[in-house]
Amino acid sequence: MERNLTVLQVALYHPIQGPAAFANVPSRLQHDTSPLLVGRGQEAHLQLKLPHLSRHHLSLEPYRERGSSLLSFCLKALSYRGCVWVNGLMLRYLEQVPLTTINRVTFSGIQMVIHIEVGASLEAFVCCFHLSPSPLIYRPEAEETDEYEIIPQQWSPQGSREQTLCHLGFLQGPSETQDSFPQPSSGRGAEIQLQRETPV
Amino acid sequence: MTSFEDADTEETVTCLQITVYHPSHLQSGIFHSINFNNREKLPSSEMVKFGRNPNICHYTFQDKQVSRVQFSLQLFKDFNSSVLSFEIKNLSKRTSLIVDNRELGYLNKMSLPYKCMVRFGDYQFLIEKEDGESLEFFETQFILSLKSLSQENTWVPRNPIPENGNYPSFGTHSTSPTEIDENEL
Repeated sequence: MERNLTVLQVALYHPIQGPAAFANVPSRLQHDTSPLLVGRGQEAHLQLKLPHLSRHHLSLEPYRERGSSLLSFCLKALSYRGCVWVNGLMLRYLEQVPLTTINRVTFSGIQMVIHIEVGASLEAFVCCFHLSPSPLIYRPEAEETDEYEIIPQQWSPQGSREQTLCHLGFLQGPSETQDSFPQPSSGRGAEIQLQRETPV
Repeated sequence: MTSFEDADTEETVTCLQITVYHPSHLQSGIFHSINFNNREKLPSSEMVKFGRNPNICHYTFQDKQVSRVQFSLQLFKDFNSSVLSFEIKNLSKRTSLIVDNRELGYLNKMSLPYKCMVRFGDYQFLIEKEDGESLEFFETQFILSLKSLSQENTWVPRNPIPENGNYPSFGTHSTSPTEIDENEL
């Protein structure tokens, strides 16, 4: 039963490609305990259509910490050329890091926020994907600069989607996608925060 | 000029040497599908599975007492290291995996030291890593042992010895060098 499965709530955002990058992303994906591959390739379990992404860019590997009866997850960088940022830590090829409850992941311009809701099952886990029309991650120091990008008009917020992302804790407060929230440069951000502060 | 002189410099590859032993391997042919002594080159991102099911596992054992997928080996790179390391993961729900003195349950994993003994059931694997430069590939090489690896004391986990070769007179469980005055010896 699904309520016993660990659920990964995964929010995705790309500043330029928008929804086209996520055309092959299902709303829900159940996976066994083998590593879940994320990349451009057809054999990737989560296929993202971006030309600069590696065929296998990263993996999410379920495992169990000794002494724990629950699943943990380890994110491993699989791109030989690119890198992956996880909670401010840069991973190069074959480097890996265990995930915490909420994780900010950036790679090839993609922002991915993973919220883990742990369940009892050791057989499988579920990913629920949410496409965000607005940035999920930003650099706090960028608020003090004049550099920002206008969010394209076709990405004006849709009420139900915003409500879903708010409900899951990916966003806080009312949608303000027209505001000047700067984009972090891909893969080079320093410290990043999940919640956006409401501008005064 | 010859092609040897002009060719790109080859990178050395990380090699994992696996010496295997099972008490009844001669009678039962459990290692029948293992290509002993042959060095096999594999991509470094590969998760190498060991078990009974040839559709899933890269290396198989013809033994019904082996789980369909028993365990896996996978490379990773430690942040503090320039070389690749191996991680072993128990994929069997029934059988624990013993790595030196540590027991791994289902989905438990740990990084392998340069040399270690891995056991499950009657199977013994002495696994030794030789570092290489390449990040893209690694090699495996299987060696068949006709004698038990434990009985031969081929590998006994022991504490590191002091660099100067002087063993302290008292017992110690410390794994870091202990500074002593030479007059105490």
